[in-house]
Order: sequence, then structure tokens, then C-alpha cells
Amino acid sequence: MSDETLVEVQDLKIHFFTDEGVVRAVDGVNLTVQRGKTLSLVGESGCGKSVACRALLHIVHPPGRIVSGKILYHRRLDNGLSETVDIADMDPKGREIRDIRGKEIAMIFQEPMTSLSPMYTVGSQIMENILLHTNMSKKEARALTIELLAKVGIPKPERLVDEYPFRLSGGMRQRAMIAMALSGRPNLLIADEPTTALDVTTQANILDLMLELQKQYDMALLFITHDLGVVAEIADEVAVMYLGRIVEKADVDTIFNAPMHPYTQALLRSIPKIAMKREELDPIKGMVPSPYRRPGGCPFHPRCTKALPECSTIVPAITKLNENHLVECLLYEDLATRKAMERPS
Amino acid sequence: MTEQSLSYSSPQMQDESFLLEVNNLKMYFPITRGIFARVKGYTKAADDVSFFIRKGETVGLVGESGCGKTTVGRCIVRAYTPTAGEILYRRADGAVVDLAKLQGEELRPYRKDIRVIFQDPYSSLNPRMTVFDIITEVLKVNKLAQPEEMRESVEYLLKRVGMRPEYMQRYPHAFSGGERQRIVIARALITNPRLVVCDEAVSALDVSIRAQILNLLEELQADFDLTYLFISHDLSVIRHICDRVVVMYVGKVVEIAEGLDLYISPKHPYTEALMSSVPISNPRLRARGSRIRLPGEVADPSNPPPGCYFHPRCLYAQPICAKESPPLRLLDGTRSHYVACHFAEELSLRGATMEE
Amino acid sequence: MSKSVTGAPRYAESEHVEIEIASQWRLMWWKFKRHRMAVVGGIIVLIYYLVALFAEFFAPVHFTTYKEEYVYAPPQTIHLFRNGKFDPYVFGYRFERDPASFKKIWYIDESVIIPIGLFQRGEPYKLWGIIPGNIHLIGPRNPEDPFYLMGADKSGRDIFSRIIYSSRVSLTVGLVGVAISLFLGILLGGLSGLLGGAVDNIIQRLTEILISIPTLPLWLALAAAVPLDWSPLQVYFMITIILSLIGWTGLGRVVRSKFLALREEEFILAATLDGVPLGRMIFRHMIPSFLSHIIASVTLSIPGMILGETALSYLGLGLRPPVVSWGVMLQETQKVAVIANYPWLLFPALAVIVVVLALNFLGDGLRDAADPYQAK
Repeated sequence: MSDETLVEVQDLKIHFFTDEGVVRAVDGVNLTVQRGKTLSLVGESGCGKSVACRALLHIVHPPGRIVSGKILYHRRLDNGLSETVDIADMDPKGREIRDIRGKEIAMIFQEPMTSLSPMYTVGSQIMENILLHTNMSKKEARALTIELLAKVGIPKPERLVDEYPFRLSGGMRQRAMIAMALSGRPNLLIADEPTTALDVTTQANILDLMLELQKQYDMALLFITHDLGVVAEIADEVAVMYLGRIVEKADVDTIFNAPMHPYTQALLRSIPKIAMKREELDPIKGMVPSPYRRPGGCPFHPRCTKALPECSTIVPAITKLNENHLVECLLYEDLATRKAMERPS
Repeated sequence: MTEQSLSYSSPQMQDESFLLEVNNLKMYFPITRGIFARVKGYTKAADDVSFFIRKGETVGLVGESGCGKTTVGRCIVRAYTPTAGEILYRRADGAVVDLAKLQGEELRPYRKDIRVIFQDPYSSLNPRMTVFDIITEVLKVNKLAQPEEMRESVEYLLKRVGMRPEYMQRYPHAFSGGERQRIVIARALITNPRLVVCDEAVSALDVSIRAQILNLLEELQADFDLTYLFISHDLSVIRHICDRVVVMYVGKVVEIAEGLDLYISPKHPYTEALMSSVPISNPRLRARGSRIRLPGEVADPSNPPPGCYFHPRCLYAQPICAKESPPLRLLDGTRSHYVACHFAEELSLRGATMEE
Repeated sequence: MSKSVTGAPRYAESEHVEIEIASQWRLMWWKFKRHRMAVVGGIIVLIYYLVALFAEFFAPVHFTTYKEEYVYAPPQTIHLFRNGKFDPYVFGYRFERDPASFKKIWYIDESVIIPIGLFQRGEPYKLWGIIPGNIHLIGPRNPEDPFYLMGADKSGRDIFSRIIYSSRVSLTVGLVGVAISLFLGILLGGLSGLLGGAVDNIIQRLTEILISIPTLPLWLALAAAVPLDWSPLQVYFMITIILSLIGWTGLGRVVRSKFLALREEEFILAATLDGVPLGRMIFRHMIPSFLSHIIASVTLSIPGMILGETALSYLGLGLRPPVVSWGVMLQETQKVAVIANYPWLLFPALAVIVVVLALNFLGDGLRDAADPYQAK
């Protein structure tokens, strides 16, 4: 594993043009996914984390639209060289993106029952993905499917391959989804709250499985969740999202032990912990504003305990605290420099 | 108390401090098939459940989906009529009644004493009624208050749960999930209840809102002298809010203990596995000790394995476990640690990883 | 994304408060208003029923009035201006005999000018059989002049007037039928969904049997069973009952499924735990949450009833002269030769098509608006 960039998201903006107004679901997001590493995107519901990740596969449904930004995907070619393509620039129904989807970049969802068709057997759905992206024969594809099902820990895979999804438990379905995702040997696996609907013991098993497979396949993992516990368990890097913007990004240890953005700090203070002493929780005041009424300036300022007067008017820029720690907060910006910069314009 | 567990047949409780005592509660749902609805078997959603709740405490009911914790809660509030067992409740005047035996109108006086906070704040509020109508419905149908009083008490309560009283004329669609849950809480508290069953009351909420609601529930408990039965699958929430915890697995109680006691020294292998599976929000504790991972799947409550229901997945199972179902018993040398395991004394199990 | 209420603008703070205190009917109205086709449909339906209600006033003549000399006279066109002045008129007729068949061949005679106007005094009538009057919305200035906007039929009766009078029967046979099936549907569907068990089983089997009966032969059999000496009114009543006895099953199933779904809702459980008695539970907590759906599906079922009446009468199994309905009028068009020679006899079909379309658009709009709380 090396520190090689796999996907670079640059200033991505996805807006939803609804009858009630424009919702800026993703409003200038920058992300970097390293090959073979786990990036966890964390935030509360409505922060835009799912929409942002779907954009990596160019699945943004109307009235949503990628308004601007780049999604640069660096792929290795067989001849040892590499090329860079911009996913945001592709035709969402075109051949180019379809070759990437489900093969080089795969995705698994929160509710596997809705992402597996009830009309087809588990095996046939995985085989279809294999046949679509390789030139294997049906027989080979079936053998590979059974092998994959075994790999994701499904007992008696040669029998389960012919079962319909409703016969499987939630955990088994999620394993089948992972098997399907792996069938294209992806470079990047996007997991959108894959364990949220599962019980805690099942969740632990699935997380273990994903980490193990990540090593085996040397694939990057983009893990979307609202559960900070899960983030602490699996992430290498963490990006914290609030109202369509990434407010802080750092390695997992920094995020949990030395967070800088007031939102990250508050979020960590508000989760109940299993500890010797039962301490009072310190919740974030107020609530996430309606997507139609975004506050001006820093989106978090109405709920922030450390807000400065300027926070309601100035949108904070990305501040690099160190090589790997980015934060969007005026507290760490040199206001004087900013003013000096803005004056000439 | 010995092997006989908590069962008692006389209509009185074991202890003066108990507000509620559940004895050998069974809730079987028939499985029917075909046009003529022939009964093919039973789902034993709650099977011989026994525990008690002391006045003023918060008891957690924890387990994974399908373990029967919600069923037990719904039996206590008598949304279901239990198949068998006792639900002893101590009234404000000290008399003890068995709620499981009451029918229809006989339950009416207790509907205001025992209230529920539901999980989903979207489906638990009727979208076609105003907040005022939703909260006061219980007062109206039970004739508990005059209309003028109602307005006042709704105003007071809305303020108390952190909402502006003028919101009472609005419809639920005007509110976010967190605000809706505050309305649900106000509806539960409008009757001055003595016991509140919180059924996954914070599970559907976002992290930041969840903390607000948990704090609110704690404040209200102190202010209104409430007793909580807190049903949840989330062990960190349970740890945070509960004094004692009841752990369930496939319709049975496997362990009951004081909160900290349960987390530090669980005595049932299932509790141990549960503790070991909780994600810990500190990456530095990630690698500490190897985690226990349960093989296989949760047993089917309509077709449970013989003996101890947990034995097919248990890492410490012995031949006896497949034959004899272990009764829930008081652990030797403790005052309040109950466990249903043949080997509770012999096993040395690992507790949860403690943060801080 | 959070659940949003559709149909209402989200811009200014003041409008927000309005949304937040809006009842379901207000929200539905907002949502309905944006469905333009539905609004147009609603207006058309309203006009139809107004015309039916005041048929005596809207129709130039009574539906039985005939003028032998104008048998099969073709439609006249209204001209609005004469000599550069607003002065509406129609042309008169002249005819020649076909030498072979002795049939009248009609020509519009541009030399004969028949002035017409709004609110003309004409044939006297009794509105709803009670209130006497003689003012008609439109008519020739001289009541004796021929005035056939949609032509005349084989007895020289005005088709336009007959269509208007027909709407009374054709539009209400639907309503009465729908009312009966609404009653049966809610009653039986409600019992089925609420009580469950054996009652549910029996009602569901009955529904299945009714649905599986081929309707046309049933109509034939039932119409044949109506004694020939019954008055047209009795036949009319019988038809409504026949139509609705079959028609309630769809609605019954909808109501049943709504009750079944509601039984599982947490807010119904909450009401149960509040100690809400059954009657109040049904009328205050359950029915309001699907009443709007019922209204929408009722609107969508009226066209079926109208088409049913038209089809039955056309086949000669339903209403018979002297009652007029669109179906009865269309009976005359059964021969191809008639349509070829006098295509204006098909105008009643146009009336049917327009109202059925309008009702469908209206029903669609209502159905979309019926649940204003959907997550978007």
C-alpha cells in the first residue's frame, strides 16, 4: 500500500432544484481518497454525505444536478502507466461511467433488501455483474460467485447461490451485497451506512469482514456513517460534513483526540460513552436548519458556542493546520490576512 | 430467593420499593397459514420474562432486534394481552394490581399512570391533528381535565420540553424529528404518569438531537418523579441513562444487573459478546484485546433450539446447555445480579472496553 | 433530506407560519392548485353539473319539443357580427328532395338570417317542475325560428337541448351509483379491515366472487329481469343499484387496506393507549387519514359509472325513451348509415368524452393531493 491518490473531489457542488427553492445539498466539497485506505465521511442526516458519495458513481437523481466541480479518478492502466478521468464530466448514462460503476468503483447501501431485486436469486444478480464486466463464461461466473459468497462468510454458498434475497437475514443480505460489490474487483468500495440497519453483533462481524477484504483486495473504502463509534473502529481518515460542506478533515486519531472545529468537538461531546462514570451529555444547541433556510456565513454559526461576530457573514476558507489536518473555521483563519486580501477586490 | 427465580403467585410484590414486577410473562403470537387461518405454531416473542422496576429508577431493557424487548414493553402498557404471567403494578395508594389480568375498561385508570414514548416521531404523531389535539386526546377521552385547564397544562408542558407554547396550534409536519419527539414526550407526560416506557425513544434521532432528548428525559425524571423502562438496542445509551439493565435474547431474560456491574463483569456469555461488539468512539482503544465475534445467526423465536437458546452460538457451551434451559437465578454472593447460565459462577467473562 | 411539505412555497418567514398551521385540507388545496389539468378538469365538471342543475334554463327548448319539418336538420354555426356590428345570428335552412329516395337534402340558406341572443324569452318551462319561467340562456329572437346548434334528430328535436337534459340523468346515475358503492365499500371494507378474522374472510371471498363475474352478461341478465312494464324511472333506479352492487368491491378493498395499514401505525397505537374508544378511534383518528383518498377514488369511479350507463343504454339494456340520457341518444347511431348521413347525432358522445376526461383529470389531481405529508 502506498500513499497514492485514487479519487480527488474538487469543489464539488450538487444542487437540488425543487419547487420550493434550490437546496445546496453539496456545496463545495473537496475530498481525497487514497488507494487502499479508508476514508470515513461522517455527519448528521441531511448533511449531504450520501449525495456527495453517489456523485462518485455519477448517480445524482433529478431534481439534483452536479452544478460544478471535478471528480478526478486516477486509474492504473495495464501497461503500468496511469490516466486520470473526470467522472463529473461524463455522461451519466454513457458507456464510460457504466464501465466504472460496479467494476472499478462499487457501492453498498444501508438497506440491502432494497438494493437486491426480490425477483432474482442472489447468485444470478452477482453473476450478472460479473458477466457484464468480464468475458467469463456462465459456468466460470457461477464458480466465482460461489467463491465470493464463501469469501464474505456466507455458509453453504453453493446452496445459497440459488436462494432469493428474502430468505436471507439482514446480515447475510449485506454480505451478499458485499460479494456483489467485490465481483468487479473494485479499487474503491463506497459503503453508505452499511451497518446502520443491523444489530450490534452483526455490525461488528460485517465491519471485520470489510476491513479484512479491504486488505485482501487492496481497495479503498469510502465509508459513510453517522455513527462515530463505527468511524473510530474502521477509518484511517475522517471528513466531518455539515450542511453540504466538509468542516474538518484529519486522520482518525486527530479527529477523536484533538478535534479543532467546534462542530466536531461538540459532536464528540454529545455522544454517550460506555465509561465508569455516567456523565451528563453536552448536546449541540438548536437543530440542523431546514435545507431551504441555510444560514449565511459559516453554516454552523447559529449553533456554535465559539462563534465570532464575523461568523455570520464570512464563509470560512479551508485552513491547513498541518499537512493532514484541514479545518473550515474562522477561529483558525488569520482574519487580518483575509481582510487584507479582500480589500483590493 | 433460589432456583425458583422471581415467580410469585400472590398479588403482592416482593419488595415495598417495587413499582412494577413482571413475573413469568409469556407472549406467544400464533403463526397462521392458509385461507382458514389454521394455527401452525407460535412465535414466542416473550418467554418467561421476569424482572422488576423500583420506584424512581431507570431500568434498561436491551437486546438485538427480535429479542422481544418491544413486546415486553407493549405487554406492560397493555397494547397486547399477555398469554400468561403477571404484571404487578403498585398504585399510588399502595394497592397492587395485576395488569395482565385486567380487560377493557378495567385498564382505563392505569392508562394514565403508565405512558409510552415511541421510537419513530414521524409515525407516532397523527399528521391530521394539531399538537394541542394530539397532546390532550388522553385528557379528553378520560375526562381528566376541563378545556381551560388543558390549555394551561399544554402550555406549561410544551415549555417544559423546550417548545414554544404557541406551537400548540400547529400540525406535526411543521416540526423536525427532534421537535416531534418533544411533542411525543409532552403527550406522555400530560397525565402525570408514574411509569414511562421509552421504546427506542432516541434511536431514530441524530447524534446532536439525541443528546438533547436524553438530557431532557433525565431532567424530567427528576422534576416529575418518573420511573423509566428504557428499551433500546444501543448499549452506550443504556449505559448512560440506566440504573439497572435487563438483557434479553430470543424472548428470554439472560441477565439482570446494576448498570456498571453489568458492563464491568457480565456473567452471561451473550452479554459478553454484546459488550464486545459495541464500537468504541476512540480509535486508540481499537486494538485492545481481540473482540468476541458470535458465529451463526440469532435463533428463530418460533423454532428455538433446545436447552439454552444461546448455546449454538456460545463459545463456552457444554453438553448440558443443549439439554437444559437454565433458569434466571440470583448469582451467588451478589444482591441483585441475576443470570440465566449454567456456568455463570465458573466463567470469567470480559466486560466492555471502558472509555476514560 | 428532511420530510418536506409539498405544495407550498418555502421562501418567506410569514409564509412559513402559514404552512405550519395549515390543516390537511389547506395543504391539499395548495398541492391541488399546482396540478393545472386537474383544476381545468374541476372547472369543466363544475360547469357540467351547473348545466344539469339548470337544464331548463340552459337548453333552448324542452327535450320533447319537435318540429317535423326539420327532421335531421344539420347544425347551424353562430355568426357574431353583422354589418360590422355585434349582432349574433344563424342562417336558416332550405331543402331539396332527393329524386330517388325522397329524402330531404338540407342546405344552409344564407339568405335567411335568424337573429339570436342571450337570455331570450322562449318556450315556457317549470324549473325542477316547480318554478315557472321562459327565459333561456340562448335562443332565436323569434321563438318560432328554427335553432339547431347541434342539428336535429329523426323527429326534428334539438340535439343540443337533448344533450343538456340528458346530462341530468347521465351525470346523476353516476352519483347515485357511486354513493351506494361508497356506502357499501366503506361499510364492508371497514368491517373487513377492522374486525378481521372470519368476517374479513367472508367479505374478501364475496369480493373475489363479485369481481370474477363477467359484467356484461350480468348486466344482460339483470336488465332482462327488469319487468317490461316498469316505468323508465324504476328502470333507471334499478340500473343504479345494479351498477353499484358490482362497483363497491374496488373501494371496499381500498378501505380495507387502509384500515389494515392504520392498525399498524404508531399513532393509532398511541391513541389506543390513550384509551380512545372504538367509535372515536374510527371517526376521529382513522377515517380522516384516508378520507381524502376516498374522495379521490370516488371521483375516479364516477366516469366508470357514466360510461356504464351509456354503454348499457346504447345496447338497449338500460334506459329507454322517453327518458333521455347520452346513452339513449346514442342508441340512434347504431346504424352506420345514420352516422354517415347525420354525423351530428354523435355529439352526445363528445359530451361523454369531455366529462369523463375532466373527471379523470380532477380525480388524478385529487389523488396526488390526497396525501400532502409524503416525504419528497
